[in-house]
Amino acid sequence: MNDDMILTVKDLHKTFRLQDGRTLKVLNGITTGIRKGEKIAVIGPSGSGKSTFLRCLNQMEVPTSGVITFKGEDITAPECNINLVRRHMGMVFQHFYLFPHLTVRKNLTLAPVDQKLMTQEEADAKALELLARVGLADKIDEWPDRLSGGQKQRVAIARAMAMSPDMLLFDEPTSALDPEMIGEVLDVMKELADSGMTMYLVTHEMGFAHKIADRVLFIDKGVISEEGTPDEVFDHPKQPRTIEFLSKVLRR
Amino acid sequence: MRNKRYDGAGRGDLLLWIVGAFLLYLLWDSGFFTAAAWSDFNRRFYQNFVKDNRYMMLVDGLKSTIFMTSGATVIGVIVGLILSVIRVAHKGGVHIPVLNKLAETYITVLRGTPAMVQLLIWNFTIFASARDLNTQYIAILAFGLNSGAYVAEIFRGGIESIDAGQMEAARSLGLTYGSSMRHVILPQALRNVVPMLFNEFIALLKETSIAGYIGIDDLTRAGQNIQALTLEHSQPLVMVAIIYLIMVMVLSKLVKKLEQWLSRGRRG
Repeated sequence: MNDDMILTVKDLHKTFRLQDGRTLKVLNGITTGIRKGEKIAVIGPSGSGKSTFLRCLNQMEVPTSGVITFKGEDITAPECNINLVRRHMGMVFQHFYLFPHLTVRKNLTLAPVDQKLMTQEEADAKALELLARVGLADKIDEWPDRLSGGQKQRVAIARAMAMSPDMLLFDEPTSALDPEMIGEVLDVMKELADSGMTMYLVTHEMGFAHKIADRVLFIDKGVISEEGTPDEVFDHPKQPRTIEFLSKVLRR
Repeated sequence: MRNKRYDGAGRGDLLLWIVGAFLLYLLWDSGFFTAAAWSDFNRRFYQNFVKDNRYMMLVDGLKSTIFMTSGATVIGVIVGLILSVIRVAHKGGVHIPVLNKLAETYITVLRGTPAMVQLLIWNFTIFASARDLNTQYIAILAFGLNSGAYVAEIFRGGIESIDAGQMEAARSLGLTYGSSMRHVILPQALRNVVPMLFNEFIALLKETSIAGYIGIDDLTRAGQNIQALTLEHSQPLVMVAIIYLIMVMVLSKLVKKLEQWLSRGRRG
């Protein structure tokens, strides 16, 4: 792997143990990586393992085997403190998961203040700056349930940014949104991408992926079955599974 | 809003009227509304509650009942919170098998034996030699630890009702499991279980009526003490029952109000 890789993944496997004792192999050996400032879109059919792949990167799911390094450190090693790693690797969820009992301000400041990275005043200033960036500065003292879906997701992105991460993981950030709200969230993500943020994006928004991604991974049956620039993968796919998948999603 | 009350009695009020009418019928049937019976009732009432300020026995008993209930609730909530967090954390992958087993055993034993037996054991076995200790504190401990086992299950339900995504979102920001629990999960869970905690408080209020068995002059025992003085078998206990009923009804009404207020509050 190159030296400028901020994150590398080597032979990642994930097997889930089901309630009835059976096992489900979701990831079957993924080897890849991301450079600083690179944007990688991860696409694939449902159940292909693309979300599990993303969730393994910050150890939301503990991989069955394989090695993940982040900024040179093996974060799959038992002695690695995953909480320290996660400070630098933000995650944005499909269902936002804002903290409903806290105001927007507290949603943004809880993590940096609790981990003693900032004082409340510093965190407040940072929160205001980030909210202005996602166009929601006037909502700083609002409760999450008073926001629309699109606004919630923009706050969730700002919350992830409040930790000043080196990298963001987006897990289908627009899949739970009403169609008219997708645009405002994608605009925020576009601005982040343009600012040089390193991003992994699991998405069904093929047009958006085409526009911002430097590289596209097509994951199928737990492996990367095709990989390349957006032009290569979207316009000239080589694998039959990729062609079939794209014909299904792009026909809409 | 206020004027709505005049549109008619609510369901709870209707029930009260029916109970009231039934009691009146019983009184009438037993010849209560004759002049002789009425003066007899007054005489006995005077004997039971007015003479020598005997109503003060009930007041002191009531104080003791409220004191024990409040103390036991505090202990119950603290113990319940600790037990439930242990059990949830164990299930959530935190490696504490011994603590979890202890918590499980605690809950099984204290829920599986009568509160009365526990109270007697605390007083006559565990604290048998501590004769200087105020018996009320022993009762608070016994009722509190017993209540804790029930409160633990209330809290556990409350914690498990919070979307797993809340914990993930908190952890993804680098918060430790403990911090996520304290700042994200528990505040939401607490909010959900507040009405059930109040119900536990109400249950405790009634349960403390067995405190007389270890010699505490609580409200129930105060009624019995008056009985012993006046050799009067109905009025003191009926009065005690009425006092309990009023307290429980007022508290239940508060819980209803609280539930409405909570459900109107923020969610999302």
